[in-house]
Amino acid sequence: MPGSFLMPLVVTVKEIVTETPDTKTLRVVGEKGLPFEFQPGQCAMISLPPVGEAIFSITSSPTDREFMEFSIKEAGTVTRALHRITPGQQLGLRGPYGNSFPVESLRGKDLLFIGGGIGLAPLRSLINYCLEKRAEYGQIDIIYGARSPGDLIRKEEINRIWPSVPDTRVHLTVDAKFEGWEGHVGFVPSYLTELAFPPENRMAITCGPPVMIKFVLQALEELKFSPEQVITTLEMRMKCGVGKCGRCNIGSLYVCKDGPVFTRAQLDALPDEY
Amino acid sequence: MTKYITSERLPELWARLADRGPLYLPVNEGTAVAFRAWEEGKEVNLEAVNSTVSPKEIFLPAWETYLKFERAGKKLALAPADANGLARPVTAFGLRPCDLRAIELLDLVFVEQDPPDELYTRRRKNTTIVALACSQPDPFCFCTAFGIEPTDAPGADVLAWKTGNRLFMEARTPRGEDWLEENSRLLQEAEGVEKPPPVESADFGLALEGLPENLKGRFEDPIWDQIYRSCLGCGICTYICPTCYCFDIQDYGHQEQGERFRCWDSCQFSHYTLTAGGNNPRPTRKERVRNRFLHKLQFYPERYEEFGCVGCGRCLRSCPVGIDMVSVIRALGGETVAR
Amino acid sequence: MAERRINNMEKIRTAVAQDLLSGRIDLLLGWEKGLYWWQSRPLFARNSEDLQRLTWDSFCVANLSGYLQEELKENKKIGILLKGCDSRALNRLVQDQMVDRERVVAYGLPCPGLLDPRLLKQEAGLELTALGIEEGEDRVTLTGTKGKSIAREELLLEKCRRCHHPDPVGCDQLLLPPVGSREDRSRFHQVTRLEEIPAEERFAYWSSQFERCLRCYACREACPCCSCRECFVEQEEPRWLGKAHENSENFIYHLTRAFHSAGRCVECGECQRVCPVELPLMELSSKIIKDINELYGEYQAGLDTEQDPPLLTYQPDDPAAFVE
Repeated sequence: MPGSFLMPLVVTVKEIVTETPDTKTLRVVGEKGLPFEFQPGQCAMISLPPVGEAIFSITSSPTDREFMEFSIKEAGTVTRALHRITPGQQLGLRGPYGNSFPVESLRGKDLLFIGGGIGLAPLRSLINYCLEKRAEYGQIDIIYGARSPGDLIRKEEINRIWPSVPDTRVHLTVDAKFEGWEGHVGFVPSYLTELAFPPENRMAITCGPPVMIKFVLQALEELKFSPEQVITTLEMRMKCGVGKCGRCNIGSLYVCKDGPVFTRAQLDALPDEY
Repeated sequence: MTKYITSERLPELWARLADRGPLYLPVNEGTAVAFRAWEEGKEVNLEAVNSTVSPKEIFLPAWETYLKFERAGKKLALAPADANGLARPVTAFGLRPCDLRAIELLDLVFVEQDPPDELYTRRRKNTTIVALACSQPDPFCFCTAFGIEPTDAPGADVLAWKTGNRLFMEARTPRGEDWLEENSRLLQEAEGVEKPPPVESADFGLALEGLPENLKGRFEDPIWDQIYRSCLGCGICTYICPTCYCFDIQDYGHQEQGERFRCWDSCQFSHYTLTAGGNNPRPTRKERVRNRFLHKLQFYPERYEEFGCVGCGRCLRSCPVGIDMVSVIRALGGETVAR
Repeated sequence: MAERRINNMEKIRTAVAQDLLSGRIDLLLGWEKGLYWWQSRPLFARNSEDLQRLTWDSFCVANLSGYLQEELKENKKIGILLKGCDSRALNRLVQDQMVDRERVVAYGLPCPGLLDPRLLKQEAGLELTALGIEEGEDRVTLTGTKGKSIAREELLLEKCRRCHHPDPVGCDQLLLPPVGSREDRSRFHQVTRLEEIPAEERFAYWSSQFERCLRCYACREACPCCSCRECFVEQEEPRWLGKAHENSENFIYHLTRAFHSAGRCVECGECQRVCPVELPLMELSSKIIKDINELYGEYQAGLDTEQDPPLLTYQPDDPAAFVE
């Protein structure tokens, strides 16, 4: 079929969850449940013609067999259109794209997730994967922050479900004081420094706005995490998803194909242009 | 197998080839030269070195529709678009050795890197390439710096060259043999062993060995501040370049129906890397110019073990402010011969 | 003549060196030689070493005024070399309040008209690498041929052949003696020719031209009037222009651009000069200028900064036949 890897499947939006004033989660199904197999950390291209395509990380875990989830923050033309649809809407979907979190090499380790804002979306796929296979992983700590309490996504999970799993803790923070918020106040990187998890047998996995990632990487370095112990997932503008259209390169690597998941050690070997 | 045709019979050859399927060859368009599908009345130019726009557009058109959509209520239907020109055999005639080499570099991205790009691959498979040896390189040519022989094109199905009034054609592949055979009614057998007359091409004294390695630590080199400064931020260099291949994907149409196409895009444009959230990893012309040259000179060699430039000289001729591959390689120190 | 050129060069270099080295200006925008003798390119000079590369010759074609907006973000005061056409571009940018004139030192270079390398090659019948030139008062001798000599006017770039104001206007100083105005040249002969052909044929003509457009936007980037921070081309909501290289979209691009620079085009011809596929873009602007002249009286943008631009002013008796 001409242009086959560019040809999307038609999927149906089964349910829409409003997470925050600017973020919604779409649950989509293919003809037979899950549209395609994937690994935590991978991405997919969603389209709503005639508005166009945009890439999103898959936020559900592959262990969820019923549907695929995408948490989408309203930012550009495509996301704006996706925020206006209602359940039952059909969309174009192609993927999965990119590498994934190294679930094998994380096995047996304590895991420290550090997320900011919508950056929880890709982490959540891995968190739920690990919680599903709870015995295979050590202590799990999740630091998650947003500008305000209202901007925290997946409230049910962060407040109730995740903390109730054995050996799993969630540390929430918001950027400034808000009425009714009794949790921690402060930016994610400084909360990370405050919590000071020892690096021994621990892997840190982070995703969030570029400026947050920058300071988180710094904080982890100060906590003596080695570059191999730090994993991040990057965002770039993408069009094809398979390393051909050109725009998402960092040096000779393409985020869509060789990423989006990189260790700090890999990033250090690349030009500082992300 | 080597055959020839005399110049005055070429129009007959064009007509015959075009009958078989699309025939792309260099034609005059005002003072510019471009590879176009031949039709009666087009002014073929087999002298130009090089065409203004590269022949990459035979394989990677400036834009092509690949799917059609229909929406009714919440329903969406997607179908592949009729693949224009993919079904019939194509002849690409008159590609210079540098341009053919550039196509081979595009193959690394579109055919060999998984997954293969089917639109490109099908065009590539359907096309018989008749390369044309250079008899008179242009002042801007520097293909020899990249190890290209201006009178040879190893990847061609047929190699053609002009000697006086005769255009010789030598088959290089079984497909080339068949192609010559199909057109044998118009061609004459060459007597004896014919070879393209040798020519010299300038290389501007460039020394490229070790350059990719050398560039590794120079991402933050202050030289980039000088190189980019006069850049206008237009897309000329990327659109005329035979090895630039970046593309965009867009929809066209209205709420009920339309199509999705891909079209050339340029890493020199400000919106190229701008994310919906407003982040731009290459926010100014400096980062964009640096990315383009490093892509050709460092990133391409790192990823595909080949330089991403073939020395066609188009950027030397067409950049309105004189930022070109030779000047940049010189600025980066890739030169041994004193000017 | 060669001697006079060298003298000119020294005069220019001395004048600008004084200002650059004393710190009156932080940056000088000029030209230097490119790869070949028939190519000159922009130079951003900051010190005396850079100034050694400064060139003023018949190939200094780029209009440098477009760099001012960006460079003024980083430099307090900028010196700029301006030909006649370039100076009108600066004046226009100042009038549009895009450039603060106080932060610019404008050095005018009266311009004898620049040479078109393609015409040199054509006249000589030789590759340019086998050729040289000697420039006399009104004639150019092609060395490498048997001393063929041609009137300079015949060898000028298209944009220079229609130039009425080779002497810079509104500069702080002229570095060379004026060459005098050239109102004898025809600005509108191409447009008049196009106006005379039937509409259908004219449409076919423009279709065949725009069809070749690569949408590289070099015309826009080189244009000193295209100074919008965000062009309609890039705007996404609403999206005015599709990215398909379809002819209807190409029409919209070129016509919108022409109309958007209406009354502001200074006729520097850079749009056409930079076009890699050589679209006759100056004819679009020329047509609009000609219409403005016919409707509202003679106006040449960037020539007289005191004169109100006709499209920015309203007179009760303005002709309005075209809206009726």
